[in-house]
Amino acid sequence: MTVLTSQNTPQRAISIRSPTIRIVIACTAFAVLLAAPIVLPAYFVEIGFKLLIYIVLAEAWNLLAGYGGLVSLGTSSFFGLGAYVTVGLINHAGAGPLQALAASALAGIAVAIVMSRGLFRLRGLYFTVGTLALAEALRLFVINVPWFGGATGLFVTVDLPEIAALFRYATLLLALAALVMALATGSRFSVLLRAVRDDEDAAGQVGVRAFRIKLAAFIVASALIASAGGLQAIKLGAIEPYGSFGLQWSVDPLAIVIIGGLGMRFGAIVGAVLFVAIGELLADYPELHVAITGVTLILLIRFAPRGICGLAEAALRRRGAAPREARP
Amino acid sequence: MPALDVILNALISGVLLGGMLALTALGLSIILGVLRLVNLAHGEFLVAGAYAGLFLLQWTGIDPLAGLALIGLVLALIGYPIHRFLLVPLAGKGPEASMMTMFGLSIILQNLFVLLFSADTRAIDRSYANVPLEFGPISVPQIFVMGFVISVVLIVAVHLLIARSRFGRDLRASADQPQAAAIIGINVSRVHAFTFCLGAACAGIGGTLIGIALSFTPTSGASYLLTDFAVIVLGGLGNVLGTLVGGIVLGVLQSIGGLTLGDGYRDLVGLVLFLAMLSVRPQGFLGHRA
Repeated sequence: MTVLTSQNTPQRAISIRSPTIRIVIACTAFAVLLAAPIVLPAYFVEIGFKLLIYIVLAEAWNLLAGYGGLVSLGTSSFFGLGAYVTVGLINHAGAGPLQALAASALAGIAVAIVMSRGLFRLRGLYFTVGTLALAEALRLFVINVPWFGGATGLFVTVDLPEIAALFRYATLLLALAALVMALATGSRFSVLLRAVRDDEDAAGQVGVRAFRIKLAAFIVASALIASAGGLQAIKLGAIEPYGSFGLQWSVDPLAIVIIGGLGMRFGAIVGAVLFVAIGELLADYPELHVAITGVTLILLIRFAPRGICGLAEAALRRRGAAPREARP
Repeated sequence: MPALDVILNALISGVLLGGMLALTALGLSIILGVLRLVNLAHGEFLVAGAYAGLFLLQWTGIDPLAGLALIGLVLALIGYPIHRFLLVPLAGKGPEASMMTMFGLSIILQNLFVLLFSADTRAIDRSYANVPLEFGPISVPQIFVMGFVISVVLIVAVHLLIARSRFGRDLRASADQPQAAAIIGINVSRVHAFTFCLGAACAGIGGTLIGIALSFTPTSGASYLLTDFAVIVLGGLGNVLGTLVGGIVLGVLQSIGGLTLGDGYRDLVGLVLFLAMLSVRPQGFLGHRA
């Protein structure tokens, strides 16, 4: 990811330095989110759920691509995996939603470890193609192998939790994602990860174990994505290969992060809000929506490679810098 | 165990189809080799070629096989502005920027196809697509043989262009050492533009052949993109004749997979092979030659 994120370390667009204040703000935000379904109309709870899932996916993708340089087009493989594991456990093992989601996170970790050996041999562009192939291979596997209900898919056979409860699960998942991202982007780990991103060989020469660092990021992202997939499956109550392993689940997080800002701390949130809003406005024209997403991607990569957050940061900096330049 | 003639038929159609796949993969391969660009819109170029053949037949009545050169030219003309206005400005911004731009283009094209031509499954309807050609127990559709021959001729032509011609020398130099090539007076950006157009033309012509032999939908592109990657990885990147070998190997393996496991497994065989190949021997069967 040399160029899209090369402007040294990702700077925070809004810098609230004190960690205590940040923790207080984050806790308040999550408390508000947990309480939100009581007062919000059902439509907004639905949209909110979608938004939360997208933020989780985008955070995971941003960790991989923005901070780790691992541009993945295989988000859907872990999303679909989580969906199938969750529904399978709920139907056949009598698992509760939380247990099933935890198990799908573990399944995501297991597949990430198994696939890492092959995928991490592939540098840069080849990694991207490898993840795309993984997603397609998993989808074809699920369609063809008779255990998974073929192209028709599977139905959840027990009663589903209502949307307010699902919204709270999604909030908890997001809290987990935020915690993980705070740890991963504010610690020594983030320095190692960015070192690997910017020059894997140089990082290796100064003693960074590139494989382990990449694997750690890949595991964390996969676990988050798989849980999000499981949660989406519980909400739908029915899964089928084209939906759960659909390319859209790989495209959307990528688009969200590029729109919001690749490698920017708030890129995922800003991008997801815009993306979901545009999606709702164009809900009646799905093809147009995707085409507009494509145009937006091309324009942003060309003119604002660090997305909306990058633009905002540059604007803030200009405003901050102008008075100083006026002085002799 | 199916009868011997069924097996023989499957193997031969695998070889023939593999030759056509190789032609489409060649488009992806030369763009990757020379421009260092993973053209994620490659599958859409292929589908665009198939639509071009379909509409050429519907509007003018010209047989798509007779109009292949025209289709190649159209795709090259579509490719030129894409390279000039989308990719050239991104030069020096790293490979990911171009790759994601092509990805954006791919989702735009896919949805444009759906909006303009509907999501229906299409096939270019020619008599030779159904009439079988028979040699004793073996019978394959005529188009498989015609498509294979056309593909092999074009692949060999591209090979000769790259290996023997003056332009090919410039191209190889630009692929190896773009800066050094520019210093000794090779117009690298022109070579890149021409290579991109040539790649688009190969994809389009291959797409027309596949559109006659099989069927296609606006969203078929993604799976052909992956199949073509499998072909490149099997044959070795930058090895034009290796691409032909890779295509045939993949075609045969897909046929065997379809025969032994069921038709739905055809594509899965290719992908598993691709992933396995990437992790074991990323430089291809035939060794490395960039």
